[in-house]
Parts: sequence; structure tokens; C-alpha cells
Amino acid sequence: MSEVTQTPVLIIEDEAEIRKFLRLTLTTHGLKPIEAENGKAGMQLLRSQHPEVMILDLGLPDIDGIEIIRQVREFSHIPIVVLSARGQENDKIMALELGADDYLTKPFSAGELIARVKVGLRHARRLNNGGEAYEVDGLKVDLTSRVVTLHNEDIKLTPIEYKLLSVLVKNSGKVITHTQLMREVWGKHTLENNNYLRIHTQHLREKLKDDALNPRFIITEPGIGYRFKSQG
Amino acid sequence: MAKYNEKSTDVVNDNRPNPDSLLDLVSNDRSITTRGRLKVFFGASAGVGKTYAMLSEARRLLHDGIDVVIGIVETHGRDETAKLMEGLPTVPTLDVVHRGITLKDFDLEAALERKPSLILIDEFAHTNAPGSRHPKRWQDIAELLNRGIDVYTTLNVQHLESINDLVAKLTGVQVRETVPDKIFDEADEISLVDIPSDELLKRLHEGKVYIAPGANQRAAENFFKKSNLIALRELALRRTAERVDAENDVLSSARGQKEAQIGQKILVCIGHDSLSASVIRHSRRMASRAKAPWYVIYVETARHIRLTDKAKLTADRNLRLAEKMGARIIRLSGSNACEEILNYARNNGITRIVVGHKRQSRFASLFGSTLSRELIENGSGMEITTVTEDVPQEKSYTSFWGHYLAQPLSYIWAIVILALCTLLGLPFRTVTDPNNLTMIYLTGVVIIAARYGIGPSVFASLVSVACFNFFYTEPIYTFSFIDPDYYYTFSVMLIASLIVGSLAAKLSLQARQSRKREQETNVLYSLTRELSSVRGIAAMSEAAIKHIGQAFDVIITIFLPTENGMQTIPENTPSRELKEESVARWALENRQLAGRQTDTLPSAKGSYIPLVAENTSLGVLGIVPKNESRQFSTAEISQMETFASLIASAFQRAHNAESAEKAKIESESEKLRNVLLSSVSHDLRTPLASITGAASSALMLKEKLPKAVTELLNSIHSQAARLAKLVTNLLDVTSLEAGKIKLNDQPYFIAEVIGSALTRIEENKDQRTINTDVAKDLPLIVMDGLLIEQVLVNLLDNAIRYTKQDGKITISAKVEADCLRITVSDNGEGLPKGEEEKIFEKFYTRGHRTDGNAGLGLAICKGVVEAHGGSITGKSGKEGGAVISFTLPGLKPIMETHE
Repeated sequence: MSEVTQTPVLIIEDEAEIRKFLRLTLTTHGLKPIEAENGKAGMQLLRSQHPEVMILDLGLPDIDGIEIIRQVREFSHIPIVVLSARGQENDKIMALELGADDYLTKPFSAGELIARVKVGLRHARRLNNGGEAYEVDGLKVDLTSRVVTLHNEDIKLTPIEYKLLSVLVKNSGKVITHTQLMREVWGKHTLENNNYLRIHTQHLREKLKDDALNPRFIITEPGIGYRFKSQG
Repeated sequence: MAKYNEKSTDVVNDNRPNPDSLLDLVSNDRSITTRGRLKVFFGASAGVGKTYAMLSEARRLLHDGIDVVIGIVETHGRDETAKLMEGLPTVPTLDVVHRGITLKDFDLEAALERKPSLILIDEFAHTNAPGSRHPKRWQDIAELLNRGIDVYTTLNVQHLESINDLVAKLTGVQVRETVPDKIFDEADEISLVDIPSDELLKRLHEGKVYIAPGANQRAAENFFKKSNLIALRELALRRTAERVDAENDVLSSARGQKEAQIGQKILVCIGHDSLSASVIRHSRRMASRAKAPWYVIYVETARHIRLTDKAKLTADRNLRLAEKMGARIIRLSGSNACEEILNYARNNGITRIVVGHKRQSRFASLFGSTLSRELIENGSGMEITTVTEDVPQEKSYTSFWGHYLAQPLSYIWAIVILALCTLLGLPFRTVTDPNNLTMIYLTGVVIIAARYGIGPSVFASLVSVACFNFFYTEPIYTFSFIDPDYYYTFSVMLIASLIVGSLAAKLSLQARQSRKREQETNVLYSLTRELSSVRGIAAMSEAAIKHIGQAFDVIITIFLPTENGMQTIPENTPSRELKEESVARWALENRQLAGRQTDTLPSAKGSYIPLVAENTSLGVLGIVPKNESRQFSTAEISQMETFASLIASAFQRAHNAESAEKAKIESESEKLRNVLLSSVSHDLRTPLASITGAASSALMLKEKLPKAVTELLNSIHSQAARLAKLVTNLLDVTSLEAGKIKLNDQPYFIAEVIGSALTRIEENKDQRTINTDVAKDLPLIVMDGLLIEQVLVNLLDNAIRYTKQDGKITISAKVEADCLRITVSDNGEGLPKGEEEKIFEKFYTRGHRTDGNAGLGLAICKGVVEAHGGSITGKSGKEGGAVISFTLPGLKPIMETHE
């Protein structure tokens, strides 16, 4: 890839070793890493370098990662992938609800990293385009005509199930929290809706012939939410 | 419940219910449900059928299924009564040997152990044989009630303390066994068993009424005269009516109705004679009729030093009687009893005074008035009631001479001092007028008066005049004198020394008394000061032991409750003899005094006062007098109780300080633990993240790499993953240890979580087959999905570790009762025999430590499962291999979904 088309990716991470691995991995995959070792520097680079994706560590020394997300979301739709440790579920959920797009739990592999970054990029670039068709593994979802087929067989979905599926599909590849799902489908997050969500998701799974024990499409992320299989 | 509490004197001005009295009612009711209910079958005399009525009702209750037992019932040989006892379970009686006769008495211990719902105990006023836990049966009953056991009992009207003497006067028969009125009034229900007197007489003639064997036949006949029976019946009816009245008042005052006027307060003066006892009983009847609160006042004057021991005891006994009857005790000291009483009355708005009146002979009235007369003379505005009785004259004070003749030694000293005076003066006889030397003798008399009291000083006065006559007046060394002027000298000298002497004696006495009182206050003060300055229960105990032991000349032991028994400070004390420790324990558990001079276990060597603060027993203060025969006075006992409450609040403070300290330490170590956890977590994970990331990143280029390098990179990657798992386990275990696992409960379908776990172990499973056996349509389960996923991962990892490369693993989930049961089984090595429970212990590895397995996985599973309220077990499978299974409660019922 030429210099011109290399996608800039902003890395805000205080640990040098992790930055190195991130940098090398991104470079290997034709992306252009821009590094910052603290929040302030990161924000500056965000404004000056116009990266297309941001990788943000939640445990920064100077500013709380959550705070950075809040600030960034005031003026930018840039996809944000947060890096966090296990046991910090609350932080992850808050980050996701404040606008982060996905997360990676340390330690993670290079493969996961590239996958998340690519998903983020895809969604960012597609934001400009309207309703689309989704297709993977025999499942076809046409959001404009509202037609769902699995291996060319029509799937009959209830309105809620369709709504649920469309939200998942629009966010395919990204994690989406239960709260976000509830808000999109029902308009608000309540205790009852939490239960309904699980039940409807299960129904949806059954209709898509997706086995929860061995999921193809709808992947459960315990404690966080769901992730719909990415297109590619 | 006829309780004369302050609240009932509030007059309600409107008809709205008084919330305080309502609250009282409710709280009284509530206290009834935790305390046993007492029902007294009350009658005018023996033979009216109280026991019969009690048994009949008990039989009915037994038939209804209530757990009724007989504690002790006297049938007195009546068949019809005995027949009623058939079928009722009985607590076996205790054989007590008393004066060579074996009697059967009620066994309190057995009854407490049996713990029935209701127990029948005849003869409320019975006195227990010496050596029993309590001297009186009504105290046994009180203990049963405290433990929540209901009691039925029987009582004749003449056994009531306040009525006892009335009945004695009426019938000529004095019954010695009595029950305090307070106890009677507190009974929950009184059932009056009443029959007309003619009927009772008929029964007597038919031989149906019990007469104690050996009782004076004539006395019994006198007792059962018709006039007596009528009078007794009236007493019983009246007493019952009083109670109904009182109950009614409590209810109506709670409802806000204008209550019958509560009577004015009554002040009763008592002293150290037996007349006081009658005064007290009379006052109680007065107070109860007028529904007035009554106070008993006892004034200690300077004369009290001369009280005989017997009189002192009687005074104490009178005060206790008054307390038992429900009066409030006021002790004052002063120079004039009448003055103190009237002052108190005026200061407290009391206008009714009751006092006993002793008749004085004309002669005696010349020398001083009685209290009753003084009160009448000086009590303007007061309503004074006198109670007169013909009581045998008692000698309360040791006679004037008797008191002073008791110390012959003082007189000898007096003589010695006077001799010294003489020797001092003799040399000056020739130099100056002998009259001037009288002063030396006066000085001597003053010294004697101050040190030895009035008697010796009067003696010295006389002797000094004689000495003066003998040694100084012409002719010297004779008792005659020439100069008539000496008449005046002698008289003046005598009168002067008598006056000065008595003044000195009185002053000296008063000084001694105040010093004694000051001493008592000092002890209290120094104990208080030391208690507030030391910290820790041990130091406080030492302070208490030192001060109280010295002040009262007793041996003090402090008992402190520990996890398994009691600890004493100091370690070796005479109270350690086993019998005494149980007394202390009783005091601790029942929060009441026990031991010597109390109502419980009075044969003990020491007295045991519980240290109670905020309704909990913190320990017991044990007091053993150094001199075995010493009896503590009421004043001393109440002083000790004051000390006990001082110590108790000091202990309470120490406890609170300790808990505050502990809480502080806990929160500090909590903070430290959290900081440690988060920093360790971060510090371990960061390099791991770099290693994993770098290795995986390099592996993405594996086409370009030599095979060997790829393999090495794989190795690095997988080992880093293993290390990461270990770190995760270590941190999880730390959180579990701290008890700080917080569950993030969410609803899940177990299948999703199992699926998620399977994905995570995908890498390690190699060629092994993992089967799933999860029922369709399992309901939602509420749990912490992430933690349970970790549990499953751990179990699967274990299964992988202990099976061969081609092993088979099965994971199943199904509903069991109201739980979900999840099982992971494999066909691998299996569990070592006998270690099925040990495997869940930390750091347990099956037999040998392989591949860096720290043995924490299963411990974490156990911790998480139990935190969810479930349980986990392991056993060996039918074909070898291990089967680990756990349950999770929290199933949600299938919900109807709305679209």
C-alpha cells in the first residue's frame, strides 16, 4: 500500500512494550500507527493528525480513559477500541456506553487486535452510506426491503426479532451492550426488558438455526453484551 | 397489669388516645409473646377447687394439642383430683431430704430442659427446701416465664404479702409463705375460683378439704369458721376486683378516656422496728385503693450508730419488703428525721404522709418526742396518717449506759491521761493559784472526749474534779477541803468539763461520720477516675478489683465470658471452686444478682452481680467477704451495685473502642488489599500482554518464517496464555479469600455461557471430543455470567489436563428441583479415592504437580459456586474418570413475552 492510502491509527497507551507490539502489528497489516503515551498528547494528536481509528488504554496515568472517551465523543465519531484488563467489567461497560465501539482484554493476540480495528474502520466508513445488505455464511439480511433469508429460505421474524436482528447486523463485528440493545429495541433499559432481551435473542437464535453452544452468528460476551458475526 | 408508672399520672385533656400509653400497651403485649404467660388460679382458701380447675383446663388444652406437662401438683389424697392428672405428662419430681424426711419437690432444672409450652405448678407461695436454686417457688416460676414457658399456678388470698397480716388478725392463723404483690399483679391472667362459704363448709365436713397432717386440729377448726370464710372470700373478691379496675384503667387511659383520678403520692416513713412492716403493708393497701404511687423514706440520723445489729437487719428487711411491694425507696441522712421528711415532702409536692405511731409513756415524753408526734406538730399543710399497733417493746438501741460501758479500755486510758495531767500540774502547785491549774484537767477531758466519746468524758470530768480536790486543795492528798470557795470551783469545773466534753464528743463523732462518708465517696471517685483513664478490659478489671476489694475488705473476682466458658481475673480465686462458677454463669445469663444474700442460690459463699450495659451481660462481679460470717447491709449492697454498673459501662466503652479499632484496621487492610490487587493485576498483566501480543503478531507472519521459529513462537504464545490463566486464578483466589466477590447478576441461558466457555478452551482441547448434553428450553438463570464462565473454563481445563489426547469430555445441564445442575465429566485419570472433597482445597493437585498447575482452579470454582448459593461435588465416574457437578439456584420462571 502506498503512503497515501495508509490508514492512520491513533494509539494512546502508556506502556512502551505494548505500544511496540501494537505498532509492529499495525504496520505489518498496512496501517499507520500514531503513538501517544498519555491522554493529553493523545488528544492533541487526535485533533492534528485526523486518525481514522483510535486504540485507547483505559489505565492511563494522567487522564481517566473514560474521560477521554467523553471528550472525544463531543466532536468526533472516530471508532474507539479500548484496552482493559479482566475484572474491570464495569469500566468496559461504561466505556462502551459512553461511545467506545469495542474492547480488547489484556492479554490479547494480534489477530484479535486487527479484527477489531478493521471492524471499526468498516463501520466508520459505512456510516456515510445508508441502509445496506448484510451477508455472511448463508444469512442474508436486506435492511431496505426488510427481507431475511437463510440459505435462500425465507425466515419469518416477529417485529421485535427483526428490530433486534437489524441492530445486531448494523453493528456486526462490534460488541453491543445489553443496555444499548434495550435502548435501540425498546427505547429504554428496564429490568423486565433485560429478561425479554435474552428471551428474544434466544428465539432469534433458534430461527437462525444458531446453536448457543456453538454459535455462528450471535455470540454471547458474558457480563458485557452480544456480538454479531462480522461480515469479513 | 397494675403498674404504677409515672406515665399514668399524665392527665389527658382531650379524648384523643395517648400515643405513649398505646405504645406501652403494645410493647407490654409484645413482651408477653417472648415471655411466658402466667395464669394464677386464685381462691379464698384451701378447698375451693383451684387445683381441680387448673387441671381441668390443662386437660382441655392437652386435648387441643398443646404441650402441657405437670411440674408439681398436690392432690392431697383427693381421688377426683388425682384422676384428672391421668394422661398428663409429668416432669419427675426431685427427692429432697430435709430433717430426716424425704420430700418430693419441683425439679426446676428438669423442667427447663424439657421446655414445654405450658407447665402446671401448684402452690405459688411454696418455700423450696434449702439448697435449691431459689428459696421460693415463685422465683422458680419467674425463671420459667423468662425462658418463654407458660405457667399455671394456684394461690390462696392469705398468701399475698400485703394481705397476710390482715388475714392473720382475722383468723388467728399466720401463714408464713407469701408471694410479693408485685409478682401477683404482673400475672397475665387471674382466674378467681369462688364458691359460697356454706358450700365450702359442706366440703370440709365431707373431708374433701386438705388439712396438713400434724396441724393443730383446733386451729384448723378456728380457721374454717363461717365468719372467717366470708371475710376471706370478700378479700379474694376485692383483690381480684382491684386488678380488673387497674387493667381497665390502663386500657381506658390508652384509649384517651378520662381516667379515674390517679391518687396523690404517698410518703411512708419507716424505721428499724417491726411496726414499720405493718406500716408498709397498710400503706400498700392505701396506695392501691387510691391508685397512688408511694414512696418509702428512711432517715439515718446520728443516733444510728447505736443501733443493735438486729435493728439494722430489721431496717434492711423493711426496706426490701417495701421494694417488693412496689414502693420507691428513698434513703436520706440528716440530724433530724422529721425535718428531713418534711423537707422532702415539700420539695416533691407530696402532701400525704404515713407514719407508725408508738405510744409513749408520760415520763418518756418528757425526754423527747416520737417521730409521729413531731410530724403532726410540724407538718402544716400535710395529711398525716398514723398506724398504731401493739407491738412488743423492742430494744433497738443499745442502752445509753450499755453502749458506753462496752469499752472498758477507754476508761483506763482516761485515767492515764488524767494522771498525766496531774503530773503536769503538780510542779506548778506552789508557784501559782491552784485554780489556774484546772485548765489542764479541762484539756485532758477534751482530749478524752474527742478520742473516746461521751462516756469516758463524763467519767473523766468527775475524776478530774476528784483529782483536783485530792492533789491541789488544802488539805492536799485528801478529799476534803477547807475553803468554801472551792464549791464554786468544783461545780464550775464539773459543769464546764461536762459541757465541753459532750460537745467535743459530738463533734468528734460527726467528724468521724463525715470522714466515713467522704471515704465512701472517695472510693467511688477514684474508681471512676481510674476506670476512665485506663484502656482495655483487663486493666479496668484490675482497677476494679483493687479499689472495691480495699474499700469493702472483700475478695473481688471478675468473670468474663469467652467463647468456651468463662475467664476470671485474677486467674486463681476462691470463686473458682466449681459450684461458684456456675452461680456466676447463672448471674451472667439471667442478668440478675445471684449468690449470698440474694434470691438465687443463697447458699453460695460469694455474691455475684452481673455487669450489664445496654441490655447485654458483659461479665460478672464476684464478691466474697474475707470474713465468712459478715453480712452486707442494704447500703453496702446498693453501693456494690453502683460499682457494678460503673464497671459495666467502662467495659462497654472498652468493647466499643475495640470494635471501632477493629473496624478501622479492617478498612485499612481492605484498602491495602485492593491497592495491592489492582497494582499486582496491572503489573503482571502488562508484560504478559506484550509477550502474547508480540508472539501472536509474529505468528501472523508464519509463512515467511522457518518452521522451527513458528514452533518456538507457538510455544511462547501458549505458555504466555497459561501464565495468564495462572495470574487470573491467583487474583481470583485473592478476591475470594477477602470475601470480596461481588456478583454481577444478570439473566442468562446457560447454553450461551457454556458455548462461550467452550470457545475459550478451543485452543487447548487438541483431539479431545467435547459432548454437550444441554436440555432444550431450559429457563433463564440469574448469575454472574463471567464468573460462571470461568468456573466452566476451569472445569474443562481440568478435564483436558487429566485426560489423554483423545479423551472424551461431556458437559451437561438440567433442571433439578429449583436449581440448575451442571456436570462436567471425563474419562481420564479420575479422582484419587477418598479425596473427593479435598480436591476443592487450595493448592491441591491430584497426586503430583504437573505442568505448573497450582491447584487453584477447583478452589475457585467452589468459591464462586458457593457465592451464588449453590454447591459443588466431585466423584469418580462409572468408567473411571472424574465427575464434577455443581448446582445454581436462581432459576427464573418461564416468562410470557409480550410483543
